[in-house]
Amino acid sequence: MNDIVTVVGKNTVIKGGLQGDEDLTIYGKVEGTINLSRTLIIEASGIVAADIEVMDAIISGVVVGNITASNSVQITEEGRMVGDLSAPRVIIVDGASFKGHVDMGDLEAPVGERLPVARSVTPARAARPAGSERPTAPARRAPASKPVAKKESPKKELPKKAPVKKPAPRKPKAPSKPASKKAGKARRKPPRPPSVPKGKRKVKRRR
Amino acid sequence: MANTIIGSSIVIDGEILGEEDLTIQGTVKGKVTLKENLYVENSGVVEADIETQTVTISGQVTGNIAASDKVEIKSDGRMVGDIRSPRILIADGAVFKGSVDMDV
Repeated sequence: MNDIVTVVGKNTVIKGGLQGDEDLTIYGKVEGTINLSRTLIIEASGIVAADIEVMDAIISGVVVGNITASNSVQITEEGRMVGDLSAPRVIIVDGASFKGHVDMGDLEAPVGERLPVARSVTPARAARPAGSERPTAPARRAPASKPVAKKESPKKELPKKAPVKKPAPRKPKAPSKPASKKAGKARRKPPRPPSVPKGKRKVKRRR
Repeated sequence: MANTIIGSSIVIDGEILGEEDLTIQGTVKGKVTLKENLYVENSGVVEADIETQTVTISGQVTGNIAASDKVEIKSDGRMVGDIRSPRILIADGAVFKGSVDMDV
């Protein structure tokens, strides 16, 4: 005989659990569960009412049940399936019938370079490299913006427009952080960023 | 040539019904009902009650057999169970334990 390939003939009905380590071709009917570590091929005359767990599955017949494949599932033109598919690769050919859920595992969302830019985007700011979260609106106080301001030189442009608003109020006034008193003390030293043009404003020392 | 083949690494736990020949090279537990011929190959292990037309055993069978035509146990076959069949053939070297009823 040639390679041992398991075949369930057209007039054969298997009811129960089926498991194995080789390919399986079904022309007949199987009810129950199928658990293979290789390929399952359901031919056009095959009818399977079972939960299937295989590596690959090629469906040209009728399947009612859930399929969990570790590699791929393919429903061909004559294939008809009702149930859930769970596989990293899913191929459904034109003409196939399918009803159920498809779960291909975790999909990696592309990492966005830009974080959403603030509401009031001025041209200068827009020109700035992405990744700027500096709050333009006065209401937003982002402590994190402080280090950012020092690092990036282009940010110096910001304060020109910022004066109206509070540029990088990394240490917001008391109301924003009521809980930390110590931090409040530290904040007393005006956290004016160096970006403030000298001479225009004198740093107010709060004591 | 058999139409349905159960490969050597396949384990079936349940019931098999068929209208064609069946060749078992793997493991079957449960029940087998065929209208044609059953061949249990060398590597086959069957723990089931079998109801078929003919049975040819070269492997291991544990269970009762009811055949409408003939049961044959080959030299490398081993069977434990009862046989009900109008014709029986047990070859030299075969191992068999059970009762035989040829009055079907």
